[in-house]
Amino acid sequence: MSHVRLIDIDKYYGSYHALKSVNLTVDKGEFIVMVGPSGCGKSTTLKSIAGLEAISSGEIWINGRNVTREEPGDRGIAMVFQSYALYPHMTVAENMGFGLKMAKRPQAEIDVAVKRAAEILRITDQLDKRPKELSGGQRQRVAIGRAITRSPEVFLFDEPLSNLDAALRTQMRVELTTLHQQLGSTMIYVTHDQVEAMTMASRIVVFNKGVIEQQGAPLELYHNPVNQFVAGFLGAPRINFVAATLVNLRDGVAEVALEGASTVHVPVADTAGLTNGAKLTLGVRPEALKIGDVPDAALSFDAQVRLVEQLGRETVLYVDAGPLAAIGSESGTHNFTVQLGTAAPYAAGQSIKVSARAADLYLFAPDGKAVNRPKLIAASL
Amino acid sequence: MFPRPLPEEKPLQRGLYVGFVALILILWLLPLFAVMLTASKTADEIMAGQYWTWPKHFNLIENFQAVFAQTNMWGYFINSLIITLPSVLLVLVFSTLTGYVLARYNFKGNALVFALFVGGNFLPAQIMMIPVRDLMVSVGLYDTYLALIIFHVAFQTGFATLFMRNFIAALPDELFQAARAEGASPWQTLRHVVIPLMRPALAALAILTFTFVWNDYFWAIVLTQSDAVKPVTAGLNNLRGEWTSAWNIVAAATLFVAVPPVTMFFLMQKHFIAGLTMGAVKG
Amino acid sequence: MSELWKRHRNWLAPLLFIAPGALLFGTIIIASSFESVWISFFDWDGVGPKTWAGLANYRELFADPQFYVSLKNNVIWLVMFMAAPPLGLALALLVNQQVAGMRFLKSLFFIPLVLATVTVGVVFGWVYDPNYGLLALIFNLFGATAPALLADEHAVTFAVVVAALWPQIAFCMVLFLAGLNNLSPDIIGAGRVDGARGWNMLWHVVLPQLRQVGFIALAVTVVGALRSFDMIAVMTSGGPFGSSEVLAYQMYEQSIFSYRFGYGAAIATVLFAIMIVFITWYLRMMVRLEKETR
Repeated sequence: MSHVRLIDIDKYYGSYHALKSVNLTVDKGEFIVMVGPSGCGKSTTLKSIAGLEAISSGEIWINGRNVTREEPGDRGIAMVFQSYALYPHMTVAENMGFGLKMAKRPQAEIDVAVKRAAEILRITDQLDKRPKELSGGQRQRVAIGRAITRSPEVFLFDEPLSNLDAALRTQMRVELTTLHQQLGSTMIYVTHDQVEAMTMASRIVVFNKGVIEQQGAPLELYHNPVNQFVAGFLGAPRINFVAATLVNLRDGVAEVALEGASTVHVPVADTAGLTNGAKLTLGVRPEALKIGDVPDAALSFDAQVRLVEQLGRETVLYVDAGPLAAIGSESGTHNFTVQLGTAAPYAAGQSIKVSARAADLYLFAPDGKAVNRPKLIAASL
Repeated sequence: MFPRPLPEEKPLQRGLYVGFVALILILWLLPLFAVMLTASKTADEIMAGQYWTWPKHFNLIENFQAVFAQTNMWGYFINSLIITLPSVLLVLVFSTLTGYVLARYNFKGNALVFALFVGGNFLPAQIMMIPVRDLMVSVGLYDTYLALIIFHVAFQTGFATLFMRNFIAALPDELFQAARAEGASPWQTLRHVVIPLMRPALAALAILTFTFVWNDYFWAIVLTQSDAVKPVTAGLNNLRGEWTSAWNIVAAATLFVAVPPVTMFFLMQKHFIAGLTMGAVKG
Repeated sequence: MSELWKRHRNWLAPLLFIAPGALLFGTIIIASSFESVWISFFDWDGVGPKTWAGLANYRELFADPQFYVSLKNNVIWLVMFMAAPPLGLALALLVNQQVAGMRFLKSLFFIPLVLATVTVGVVFGWVYDPNYGLLALIFNLFGATAPALLADEHAVTFAVVVAALWPQIAFCMVLFLAGLNNLSPDIIGAGRVDGARGWNMLWHVVLPQLRQVGFIALAVTVVGALRSFDMIAVMTSGGPFGSSEVLAYQMYEQSIFSYRFGYGAAIATVLFAIMIVFITWYLRMMVRLEKETR
């Protein structure tokens, strides 16, 4: 049963169209992560669900109730903010019980709820402290505890980990996932960090310029992006893009020419709008690029290593392929990014050959839509 | 010139510096020392024209006693309290409310209302003197405490609104979103979130308003007539006219008028400075 | 009822909150100021009926030599008051050192600021006394006779302004000290690394960061100068022969002592016009500064 439903949500700030007819259905117990670049509408969507932003048109349903015109406090939601938004003048316990106090619940009931939430988050011994006596991670826990205390229908998280340092962020990520399993509640989570999205989500919703570009399970989105934006947004290091021209289209295989490399054959599923001479974009993920000759390589080119990043378990190379130029690459140059799953003894200046299999290539139409064989890659894994 | 800190290890340099500052300070406060000196003298010495010699008999206490016994200063003092304290309280209440609304609600005309508060607070009192005096006369409040209280509350609400609005606007937006998400009504948000967080600002504003209202002279002479309601500033000027030659008494009375604001200042100096500067600087 | 309230509280509550303050301020301060303009078109003794006079009050005012004396004195106040921000800055820089006991010395510097203007007036009345005053004492030390400043129509305004500068300088000093406190230590550090010292440090690194405080100090000083009334009332009552009057005082005198409320209102209107020019400038600067700091 759908637990949260957004129906044709539009939001204008003056003449700026922030959300364009957003539709989203969330089932009970799902962990939805909304991602996208800043200004894409993900936070606006979250705040609209919370009721902190009034939407211009559309409907919001939570747990079978139309809450579009309801106050945030009446919607059955709880929210965890980026800055935690703890009240500095209240103790941890008071912070956590504030919502119930506003609802004029008896103190005994508040105490029980606070204690239960504190136990879940292991902050029972911090209850009498004030927020400024706590570390960042502890504050984060209190903010989550405050949400738990209200036992809401839906938890809303607005980039809750972005103020934490890297180590703590990893730890809290694990804790949040555990918490989700433990409570089984519906959670909607906004972040710009794709690692959080990939690791925590049961479903990722990718926003861009006020529309939902694609939604689905993390690996589904990673392997079968519907368009160039999603392919470019998910994955670190970023996918390599290169300009390609369609030369020939026959029997479901596109033959594309690249500047400074041999012609590449890519199987194509959707041929709509593809004519010879069309300006396409070819994509290949850094981990799909291999060094040396690969059997049945569809793409191969010579390159020179410019920079090597040794990460211990893996190696990232930035390589210059001369006239074959990567577009908008990770390094901010025309270099390709190659990610090797081992520690490899490469050095800057070295000449290498780079190859990739046809199954690892993505092809995007001039409008950005993915045109090559969906599901094929997942199947070949 | 600017803040090269004086090195710790050069006590001589530091000593010279403090000495220099103290010298400037003495010159700076010389007029005040003159009053203190005069207030410590006997009437005889004053009559003999010995203003600047060290007092032969230290007569400060006696002069103060004379102020209380022979003049109406104590009555004026009480009047000032009766006028000032309720004014301060009401200003705090009104400006918290207006400041909260102007800081947190984005309604049409918000900027205009705020600009009127800020702009109006700069107007010299004389501009509104005639209508205000006329209003107080026509509603029968002329020459009452209430006339002064009403005017002071109205006028100080201008500055106080600027002050509170800027403080509340500086609170993080997410705090208010959190309160809303937890179902707090506007009033509950004000009571449980804004006011507790505004305590230092309110203390600062209270002292500032106290000083402004206590020190007012113009409205005291425009809206009151009788000694029964006159505040201490107007009283002091009257006294000066009546006791022209008894400068030791006038000096003692002058110090007496200055006691409450100066005491307040020293007791709550941090709040006072913070209020004056933050209120102004943030504006 | 409670459902109705809940549905509408999002706009009703703020309306109720702002109402008392806004109504009071709107009627007593704003509306009254504009009412003054209206009254300036009447002949009125403050008690009897008002008779329409059109622009007669203004015609008389602009022909009144006292008006020009007052206006000139207002200009003198304004110009001389401009000394307050730099002197306040100088004092602030002087005491801006971390030395034991400095906090206390600093607070003593602020005392003139908390004194009532009446008190300052009385105190300086003493200082200027030609027989026994502080000034007389100094002149006597050099064997000269002190001039009676407050009785000299050419000197009186300057003498009053000097007295009024005393608290005003203290005010500016407080503002600049707060500004100096808020300086970014990183930028000072960067200046030091770049070798800025002394005047260069002050001029190129410190002062640019004090712009906003400087603007506030300038604004409160202008307002202080245009509000000058108490000091004149206490020290000279506008004398001798009106030579120390400013517009505010002339307005008061015409209304309260001469019962010419219409004429007084015309003076108030001129003062109002001057203030509106200033306030408009101030509000525009404020908006600009607020944008800059965002």
